[in-house]
Amino acid sequence: MLTWVLVILAAGTMLLLALVMSLILGWANRTFHVEVDPRTEAIQEALPGANCGGCGYVGCNEYAEATAKGEAQPNLCTVGGASVATAIAGILGVAVEETWPYRAVVHCAANYDNRLGRSAYVGEPTCSAANVISGVQGCIYGCLGFGDCVLACDYDAIHMVDGLATVDYEKCVGCGACARVCPRNIISMVPFKAERMFVVACSNKDFGNDVRNVCKVGCIGCKACERVNDLLHIESNVATLNYDNYDPAKVDFSAALNKCPRESMLFVGKPSALDLAAVADEELPDRIEADFKTTADDTEWRG
Amino acid sequence: MEYLSSLILIAVGAAIINNFVLHYFVGVCPFIGVSRRVDMAFGMGCAVTFVITIAAFLSWVFTAFVLQPGAPLTAWVWQTFSPASDVTVDLSILNYIVYIFVIASSVQFVEMYLRKFFPPLYKSFGVYLPLITTNCAILFACLMIMKYVSGVTGPEAWDLGKALTLAIFGGVGFTIAIVMMAGIREELDHCDVPVPMRGAGITLIVAGILAMAFMGFTGVDRALANLMK
Repeated sequence: MLTWVLVILAAGTMLLLALVMSLILGWANRTFHVEVDPRTEAIQEALPGANCGGCGYVGCNEYAEATAKGEAQPNLCTVGGASVATAIAGILGVAVEETWPYRAVVHCAANYDNRLGRSAYVGEPTCSAANVISGVQGCIYGCLGFGDCVLACDYDAIHMVDGLATVDYEKCVGCGACARVCPRNIISMVPFKAERMFVVACSNKDFGNDVRNVCKVGCIGCKACERVNDLLHIESNVATLNYDNYDPAKVDFSAALNKCPRESMLFVGKPSALDLAAVADEELPDRIEADFKTTADDTEWRG
Repeated sequence: MEYLSSLILIAVGAAIINNFVLHYFVGVCPFIGVSRRVDMAFGMGCAVTFVITIAAFLSWVFTAFVLQPGAPLTAWVWQTFSPASDVTVDLSILNYIVYIFVIASSVQFVEMYLRKFFPPLYKSFGVYLPLITTNCAILFACLMIMKYVSGVTGPEAWDLGKALTLAIFGGVGFTIAIVMMAGIREELDHCDVPVPMRGAGITLIVAGILAMAFMGFTGVDRALANLMK
């Protein structure tokens, strides 16, 4: 008897409690209701959620809110590229222009051996520090090789190869962190209209003779490429490529590549079938993993 | 006067001497998780204080009137069914579930309130706001109150005033601890912490040192009690 009354009392207490609480919460839910744009949530779903900041907003959520309000274009996500842009445009009901993923391109092709006029630099081993000192290396436009961009990259997509910043296009998502941190502004974000892009890998604006004195591969502004290709122009003594009219299907860059007396033009991105065929029978060494046995860093001077 | 001094003792005890986080080690999850910036930590402290107060009020009311052995409401219902019986009905088996129910509901309420009136705070809390639901500091306060209410009679039993004092100052103690922690962690950002200790490691070490520092308050309650005699 007592047990049953206890059970009924306990159940009644819980039911009463549940009733009171649900009444209060139901009232609060209606009173404190916040209108959330359903499109914001849909856009958040569509975004990759990398929170890289490549679009210029703090995170994917902020970008989603901005696009839902119409303050931002739907094609700003560099990680997602065209597919995400189309998805967002579909949610918003607007047409999207054709977009390409932006990827970082280092406009310098000189590794240690190609750089002339280098002198010993003893100090903070960062590009930003070395950049304020004159005479670290002959070329005042080129890559310094201290790896500020390597530190800035969250995706392990840029590395120092023989003193030259080299982008790993398998990993690059186009957030632009390296371009922002480079004190010499030689990294730019280029619309990758093809998996293999033709780029001018030099930023030196000096006259040809001065370039020859400081670099073995830099652009001397000879206009040889300009004569064979409409997209290439010499501006301030350095070849520049017009990416607006860049159409990988129509334009053939091999003539410009062959005409260039220096080595300041190259293809970046995925290797072509020809390139792969050329190295197919070469024995490649196994990938060497870093050996963390020593605490000494590798930032010492290499002249 | 004696009542007032007992309130002061409870307040000082809950806030400083037996600080919830640094003495009982309850509520450590938000203490570590939301102590990155002082303003966020303060907001979290305020939210916990608010929820702890509501939860303590409700749990005191339910314990005193419904759940404790021989509680007036249950006794009345029991008497109407069997007037002749002299059995004390004990619903204290429901203590935990009722407390958790009450805490979850008040967290829901706070969440809705914040979302409406303080959206930036709501955003910065993120997942930690729903986590107050499972914050043991709040359940701990409810259980402390239960200890002094359920089945206790006479001058030892706590009234609502004492329960609320414990809850509010327990929340204040939590706020003090988490704001101190956030201040230290903001400074830590500029420090050259050895690599293996970065992040959670140094945070836990700092928390431990803070807890040891708070051990220095032991005995202050006795001195206070002597002072107020």
